[in-house]
Amino acid sequence: MTIDVLIAEDEPGILESLDFILKRAGWSVRAVTDGDAVLKSIKSLMPRVVVLDIMLPKQSGFEVLERIRASDTMRDVPVLILTAKGQQQDKRLAEELGADAFVTKPYANAEVVEAVRQLLDKERG
Amino acid sequence: MRAPIGIRIRNQRKTLALSQAGLARSIGISPSYLNLIEANKRDVGGKLLQRIATALDLGIEQLTGENEQRLIQDLVESFNDPVLRDVEIEGNDARELVAQFPNIAAALVRLYRAYVDANSSLEVYANRLSADPLFSELLHQVLSQITAVRSSAEILEETSDLSQVEQGRFLNAIGREARAMSEVAQTLIGHFDQTADTRASIMPARELDDLIIEEGNHFPILEEVADKLRSQLEETGGFGEAELAVLLERQFAIKVERGGMPEATARGFPEQYRFDANKRVMSFQGTTVAATRQFQLARLYAELAVPDILNDHIDDRRLTSPTARRLAFRALGSYLAGAIVLPYSAFLEDAEQSQYDVDYLGHKYTASFEQVAHRLVTLRRKQDEGIPFGFLRSDPAGRLTKHFPLPGLLLPSSGHACPLWPIYGAFRATDQVVRQVVQFTDGSRYLFVAKTVSKRLATFKDRPFHSSVMLACDVLHAHRTVYGQGLDINDIEADVPVGPACRLCVRSACAHRQEEALDPSGGDATVRAPLVPRRFELGEND
Repeated sequence: MTIDVLIAEDEPGILESLDFILKRAGWSVRAVTDGDAVLKSIKSLMPRVVVLDIMLPKQSGFEVLERIRASDTMRDVPVLILTAKGQQQDKRLAEELGADAFVTKPYANAEVVEAVRQLLDKERG
Repeated sequence: MRAPIGIRIRNQRKTLALSQAGLARSIGISPSYLNLIEANKRDVGGKLLQRIATALDLGIEQLTGENEQRLIQDLVESFNDPVLRDVEIEGNDARELVAQFPNIAAALVRLYRAYVDANSSLEVYANRLSADPLFSELLHQVLSQITAVRSSAEILEETSDLSQVEQGRFLNAIGREARAMSEVAQTLIGHFDQTADTRASIMPARELDDLIIEEGNHFPILEEVADKLRSQLEETGGFGEAELAVLLERQFAIKVERGGMPEATARGFPEQYRFDANKRVMSFQGTTVAATRQFQLARLYAELAVPDILNDHIDDRRLTSPTARRLAFRALGSYLAGAIVLPYSAFLEDAEQSQYDVDYLGHKYTASFEQVAHRLVTLRRKQDEGIPFGFLRSDPAGRLTKHFPLPGLLLPSSGHACPLWPIYGAFRATDQVVRQVVQFTDGSRYLFVAKTVSKRLATFKDRPFHSSVMLACDVLHAHRTVYGQGLDINDIEADVPVGPACRLCVRSACAHRQEEALDPSGGDATVRAPLVPRRFELGEND
């Protein structure tokens, strides 16, 4: 089974709206709420893009990203990181760890949809 | 650093129109010796200084000039601040200002302290914003909530075919996140209120310091009261932790409890002791040492038995805020406890007989090294005083956390002292007394004695926390102490050359310098070269 987008976000309010706007854009979407579940879900669902929050329980977004890039089976999956405004250090670290794109909170919904669309296009191309 | 006692003696003698020979005769020394004292070529202290003060109709503190010296040092420190680097201030200006306009000098020092405090607050806020985990967590929550609200609002606004159920879902989400945001806002406000409280406590602590120092760290009324309380306690059959507990229960219905588990938080609080005034229970951790238990019970007993006496003492114009008075109440309660556990006359006699062996005195009175050392500083009763000591305590990070200065030797009140002082060396020889004769740049020499102390027993899980405590006395008194034994006091070459603290020290060639000296008379104060001697230039050692 494959899906288009896997969302990893533990804030219920954000998760609910992300799930809605990405499905509304026409993609198949699944969501998880902690770092451990991201890695398991990538293996089982093989998403085409992962939308990853940094502040996740169990394993942070950084740890998850590091493991994704170190894994033979997961390393190529595109990852969109959700960072917080003003946290430039987070962005730099995520870049070093191999993040493909960033969206800064608080974001406009269209920014997320556009960023995911570009990653999917790139993956397809 | 030595106070010009000789000059004050000469000035006062002349004011009273006394001849040198006449004064010398009345105090029982030769005119030539008095001449050396007046020329500041001989040290004078103890009973001789007291006799001179009496003959000249002065208080001893007027001769030692302790308050003036402190004021001069505070002024020099403020003049050395980089903010005043463009102002030309001569080396002797501070001394002359204090001599001619003492009130203006005191006002300048107060202003400088306020400036330093304001700067400290700025640093606290800056650190809080960048590194405070609570603030960071709150910021994250706010950003998440704003994101959720914005995203949900956009969905409601931009999606024309939303079902009733979906509309309700996102409206609910907005309401929920908005409520959560107001809670976070309240927590944030509380957080900054707390910060403001912390800032406000900086000045009260200085006010309390000043009061204790101005009183020479000796409070005659508290000494009298302590003697009476000690007598009452001894009427129960002796003096110790058990008797204190019995009297606390009998007079004030207070129970004393001790924890059994070794963990620091076994009793639900992190400190070594806690008094619950509502439940009337004094609790100690299982690891709290006997000396701390006895001392804290004595303090509680004193605070409950004579609150009026303590309140009279803190009703003082020098304490300008409720926080300062609350701190003073605690500090003077501790003073009373020290005077009860270590009663003046008996303790002074034992101190003299044991040659001020702090460990021995601690064993004899079930008191800690720090309690004994602190008590030695307070033995300043007129006509019946012990060796004048200064006292200093440092935490393991090297910060000074408690100080009582000595006339002539002004110990830093905060920050770090000279790294060569044994107060730091003691951390390398835990539980051993480290002694050292030190010499300052003006030739004044002191005996420094330091040892690490711990207020609780260490267990495998609960790591020990050591502070270091140091006593300082003029080297002239070294032979009266057990710590002077085996030292050749006359061998000046063996002295350790020290300063007060790096930034106040003029030893430009010191290899141990950790911070650049602040020098108002020359040099570029904006260029700081920590960790290297001043004359060291990069590339010089190739």
